[in-house]
Amino acid sequence: MATSPALDVPVEPPSKRQKMSSEPEFSSSPAPVADLAEQLDAQERKMYVKGKKIGSGQYADVFSAHLVSDLKRLVAIKKIKVGAEAKEFGISYDSLREIRFLQELDHPNIIKLYSVFSTKSQNLNLVLEYLPQGDLLKLVQDTTNISYTPADIKSWMLMLMRATYFCHQNFVLHRDIKPNNLLIAANGEIKLADFGLARSFADPFQVMTYNTVTIWYRPPELFFQAQFYGGGVDVWSCGCVFAELVARDVLFRALPENEINMVKLICEKVGTPTEDNWPGVSKLKGYVTPSEYIPIRSKDQWMMAFRAIGETGVDLLMKMLTLDPRKRLNAEQVLKHSFWTDEPRPSRLEDLPRKGGGVVAMGEELTKMGGEIPYGKARGDKVARKIDFGA
Amino acid sequence: MAHSLTEDDIYRTSTQYRLWSFSPESLAAVRRKTHSLAIERALQYGAASILTAHESLRLIQRYSSLLLTTATHLAFPAPVKATAVQFLRRFYLSNSVLTYPPKEIYKTVLYLACKVEGTHMGLAEFARRISTEGEQVLAGEYKVMQALRFTLEVRQPFRGLKGVLMEMLNGAEGRVGVIDGLEDGRGVAETMRSLPGPGDGDRTKWTPPADGSVGMRHVQDRIQSAYSAARILLETPASLTDVYFLYTPSQLLLAALQLADSPLTSFYLSTKLAIESPARPKILATISSCADMLASFDQSQVLTKDERAELEAKLEKCRDPGTKDLVESFAAMRQDGSGEDGLEDEKAKKRKGAREKHEREGEDLFGPSLGANNG
Repeated sequence: MATSPALDVPVEPPSKRQKMSSEPEFSSSPAPVADLAEQLDAQERKMYVKGKKIGSGQYADVFSAHLVSDLKRLVAIKKIKVGAEAKEFGISYDSLREIRFLQELDHPNIIKLYSVFSTKSQNLNLVLEYLPQGDLLKLVQDTTNISYTPADIKSWMLMLMRATYFCHQNFVLHRDIKPNNLLIAANGEIKLADFGLARSFADPFQVMTYNTVTIWYRPPELFFQAQFYGGGVDVWSCGCVFAELVARDVLFRALPENEINMVKLICEKVGTPTEDNWPGVSKLKGYVTPSEYIPIRSKDQWMMAFRAIGETGVDLLMKMLTLDPRKRLNAEQVLKHSFWTDEPRPSRLEDLPRKGGGVVAMGEELTKMGGEIPYGKARGDKVARKIDFGA
Repeated sequence: MAHSLTEDDIYRTSTQYRLWSFSPESLAAVRRKTHSLAIERALQYGAASILTAHESLRLIQRYSSLLLTTATHLAFPAPVKATAVQFLRRFYLSNSVLTYPPKEIYKTVLYLACKVEGTHMGLAEFARRISTEGEQVLAGEYKVMQALRFTLEVRQPFRGLKGVLMEMLNGAEGRVGVIDGLEDGRGVAETMRSLPGPGDGDRTKWTPPADGSVGMRHVQDRIQSAYSAARILLETPASLTDVYFLYTPSQLLLAALQLADSPLTSFYLSTKLAIESPARPKILATISSCADMLASFDQSQVLTKDERAELEAKLEKCRDPGTKDLVESFAAMRQDGSGEDGLEDEKAKKRKGAREKHEREGEDLFGPSLGANNG
């Protein structure tokens, strides 16, 4: 099936995949009173020793921890806070989504959820992969200390695209891809994290919310309030990340960050969506564009800003940031693009720059809710978190 | 060299496969274990006549059925129903009805399924529509999450069935690629027109036209009828038997289709499974045994209202007194465990102190509150 080496997912076959937590069998010998579920829960809980707190946010605290059986095996434990909203609807949608999807997805470029356990006080604890090298955003922003090459960008993007492709193959839309949700492992690997806004692909005709994805990384169809969409939303976000890695600045940084400014910016930088370049767009409920018409930007114009990734790189970038989601490449097509096999070769893991903020960045990152803008002062992100109808 | 994952590889990584798939023997063993634990416990608290394992199972089946009707009443989509029922059935693999009677747990699993599948209904409204309190719905939530071993995905056959429907409709219109043994799309359409009619016991409502000349329109009708009949099988019998524990979603949907219209399904399978494929006999046998299980279901097996009342009266006499009041016992458990979170408690106290201080100052600034009854 795979015609491009980029498409080959380098996972171990399932039989060889090692879970850090051994799957306890139902037949383990019971104490007479605790029921089976409680016993299993306790078993999981007892496998880890909680260390110091490495992050604390509104929604979760994150602790470093290690396995009882092996002090060198570090993990991060994300303890979800029981907030006031728990009375309103119990365990939050975000927590449920994150647990649901991470339990299913096992891929080298997706953060691993080793286990979940609860404590007597009924807190959920997610045992996650320990990713001590921070996140991609910190690397992008640290322009004084960190420099990286187009080969590094290719390597990072390849890992991101493999993660995205794998999600889509499993019928999962991430819906919040952005540099600070890309954590860096000790060996330099990129790990897609934060599945709090994810959902599984809808059946045809099932309405989905358009109020999702952090605003700077949100594709035009969602600004136009499309209720039916697919993997293209994630590909657009990946395109934004790609451009951000090259330019070391957010591609569509609308300030103040509202929908109108975002659409304006997309029109300026990509072109005005019209019936010509996107048949049917004018029928979308939220279709509004600035009165001044801007033609689709030519490849030459893109080349001026993104010369570093070469002509094939720019070709790929343009195809990921195509306005019409039906013409935009899907994750598989992205991986089949010749960019990945062209010179330069993607950097090897050991040659990639590290130091994306370290443990602290991981701690911070894991405490966040999806949809938040991570850039300090920027406030409200307009993603409806609590009342998320039809998500 | 890295290899590409097949659909089967991907399914084998799912929690449904890893944790919730059984052989008939291992499924029975888990249930035996859970029941004997419950009996052990019942002897400790001194219960008289204890519900048998069989009676427990029938009660769970009855509540699975109630979940379907309640969810239909609330207009929840099919995936919510299937998820809720499987949550309930998974819950009772490691818990006994003696400890947590389904009368309470079914509300919790339905609301949880609703949230997991992204169907939004406020807790207050949900509680009102099933005549209970929000507190009651949430009381067992952690218990349920724990019993589900914090896995929330239920892989279902509905999307796959829709896929087969579309594939077959395309075939009927001759819009297919080349299939082994059949020259072209037109060949497929023709073969589909000349298929023998549904068998005697088949569930489809479709019958061949009286004059025997089957056109494309007829084949389309036939496919749609088979789809509807299969869907009914997947909604009810699949929810009220153990098939989800024993078979994969694709086996389920093919079994349902086979019961709906066997010649049509055989044809469909022939386009997917080469006659000489060594896996073919095994696959067909699995589908058949799944179909047998679905077919053996009969609505009359489900407890009537009176029978249920009778069993629940019996259950009342042997149920675990320790979990009688879920709301209270979970609140107590939280209290119990709060020692582990001492740090946070301190913070909470600090926050509370600050809030109260604010309130006091606020009162000073704006005078005392007007009192609730004055307005």
